[in-house]
Amino acid sequence: MSPSRTTTFDLVSRWLIFGLLAVYTLYNIGPVFWLVLSSFKSRMDLFAMPPKLFFTPDFSGYQSVFGVGAAANSASSVGVFDSLVNSIIVSVSGTTLAVAFGTLAGYVCSRFNFIGKGDFMFFVLSTRMLPPVAVLVFYHLMFARLGLADTRFGLTLVSIFANVGLATWIMKGFFDGVPKEVEQIAIVNGYTRMYAFTRLVLPMVKGGIAATAGFCFIFAWNEFAFASILTTTQAKTLPVKISAASGATGLEWTQICAAGVVLIIPVLIFFYLIRKHLLMGMTFGVLGRR
Amino acid sequence: MTAPMLRLEGLKKTYGAKRALRGLDLEVPDNEILALLGPTGAGKSTTLLASAGLVRLDAGKVSLGGRDVTDIDPSARDVSIVFEGFNLLPVLDVKDNIAFALRSPTYREEEAEIRTRVGRTAELLRISHLLDRDVDTLSGGERQRVAIARALVRRPKMFLLDEPLSALDLKLREGLRAELKQIHRQHRSTMLYATHDYHGAIAIADRLAIIDGGVMQQTGTIEEIIALPANVTVGRLIGSPSMAFFDATIVDGSVRLAGGAQALPLASFGETRLGSGKIRLGAWPEDIDVEAVGGAGANSGTIYAVDNRGFERAVQVNSDAGSFRKVLPSEQSFKQGDACSFRIGSGFLFDATTGARISHLGGKPA
Repeated sequence: MSPSRTTTFDLVSRWLIFGLLAVYTLYNIGPVFWLVLSSFKSRMDLFAMPPKLFFTPDFSGYQSVFGVGAAANSASSVGVFDSLVNSIIVSVSGTTLAVAFGTLAGYVCSRFNFIGKGDFMFFVLSTRMLPPVAVLVFYHLMFARLGLADTRFGLTLVSIFANVGLATWIMKGFFDGVPKEVEQIAIVNGYTRMYAFTRLVLPMVKGGIAATAGFCFIFAWNEFAFASILTTTQAKTLPVKISAASGATGLEWTQICAAGVVLIIPVLIFFYLIRKHLLMGMTFGVLGRR
Repeated sequence: MTAPMLRLEGLKKTYGAKRALRGLDLEVPDNEILALLGPTGAGKSTTLLASAGLVRLDAGKVSLGGRDVTDIDPSARDVSIVFEGFNLLPVLDVKDNIAFALRSPTYREEEAEIRTRVGRTAELLRISHLLDRDVDTLSGGERQRVAIARALVRRPKMFLLDEPLSALDLKLREGLRAELKQIHRQHRSTMLYATHDYHGAIAIADRLAIIDGGVMQQTGTIEEIIALPANVTVGRLIGSPSMAFFDATIVDGSVRLAGGAQALPLASFGETRLGSGKIRLGAWPEDIDVEAVGGAGANSGTIYAVDNRGFERAVQVNSDAGSFRKVLPSEQSFKQGDACSFRIGSGFLFDATTGARISHLGGKPA
């Protein structure tokens, strides 16, 4: 094969690959672009045909999402701001507690042997595999009886339950990467095991804790199934609200789109922050250490 | 005689199905370096961890300085430990790693005193220039120096060193070993030094304790062990090259090598206890003469491998009764595949099944 023909072939295949990637990128980015654009459109611009690329931005959607400005209290406002507050409270407290419990449980599973440890670890993971739909009805009945239905507290409990297993597994992986000599050195040199855990081991896995917290937060933030069944008016989270944000004048598309953008932003921030830990977290800490 | 610094009695420990220690006894006298020599998996690390209190024993008693510490917390035992690999806490810098123990609730000292002692210890180990560095910027040799400094700075009752130099290259290892010995001479300390390296063990230790299969095989000075090795296991671990073993039988009051020509009179093995006919004859390579073919009454063998070291040659000789390694002067220029003959000057008899020594029961050979 002559050099010139090779070059032609390379050029063609390169452009082909480039074209395919461009189409694929468009396919992925397109909806997000449309969402961001729509979140700034007034009702008239939204339904304009052909769709407008240039228009006067309308911030009413964001105003109602963040509960500021005139739009927040207008008749068309559908209470998206309350859902945002609910989402933040449930996700943050659920994540914090799931990571706290998961860290403690992960340490125990990493360092100590106990009867049925393998079964326990499997059970813990199986809670993560559970399809929420399968148990929704029972949760609904149980929450109604216990007075937890439509409360942030109830949703936080669900969030902990859904994430603590994953947190335990990921943290166990990170603790496995910390040599047991760390505790042994501390104990032989006159410290307690608690000191070794809090002052030596925990700082060594802080990247792991951050990654775990990120994962749990995303799951809690995006959680839809439980929240949609277990809430009715008071405790609706943002994903649930978006799915049915109808007000006095029908579906409020501007508010829905603005809420969608707001829903995406924490995920973007998180993935940007933990991009270095991402591989480590995904491999449960197996590849991360020397 | 005063009580030994460390006394281990009947230690037993199993990890799952693996029996790491099976009734181990050991004594380390005050101010002595005792090398715990054994192959990988012999129970060396478990012995050290048990001495420090870092494993829960199934049975047995640990005494330190005459006091029973079996149920005493590791933090109150006043021992220092240096591991083979991971030793330095990455969340602390070098000087805080060295000062680590001196800030603990148990061994707390004044900050001024800590500074003096850290400085002095760093000087001793020639790491003063590293004090402000982060531990992950150190080389392997520097790391082990810092680890040893942390162990030394507290002046504990006893040092437990678990293959502290094995991860280092040969030159560093020899240098640091000499320094450890020097420090021991200056500071009068008791050390239990676990290693699988025979050269390292005899270089640093006053006495050796040979461990295998979770039990003590023999303890003593290197001279005592060479004079009367307790069993086949000891012979395999001692010497460079280690002891040669041959299949042998006793015929008409003399020991005959399987397929060999040499007959050693049974009387030359001192007081013996003989069971079945088959035995193993063990001999230090130093007691075996390797010659050209044709010596009268010598055994015949083949040179299987030659390792030319310039000044000398290490050869492996194969024979019908067994193979052995020996270092020969360069003048004996055997080549691989050459036939040779060898003659055993003196040796020991071992039980073919148990491996226990069954010769020289009355004492040392003349």
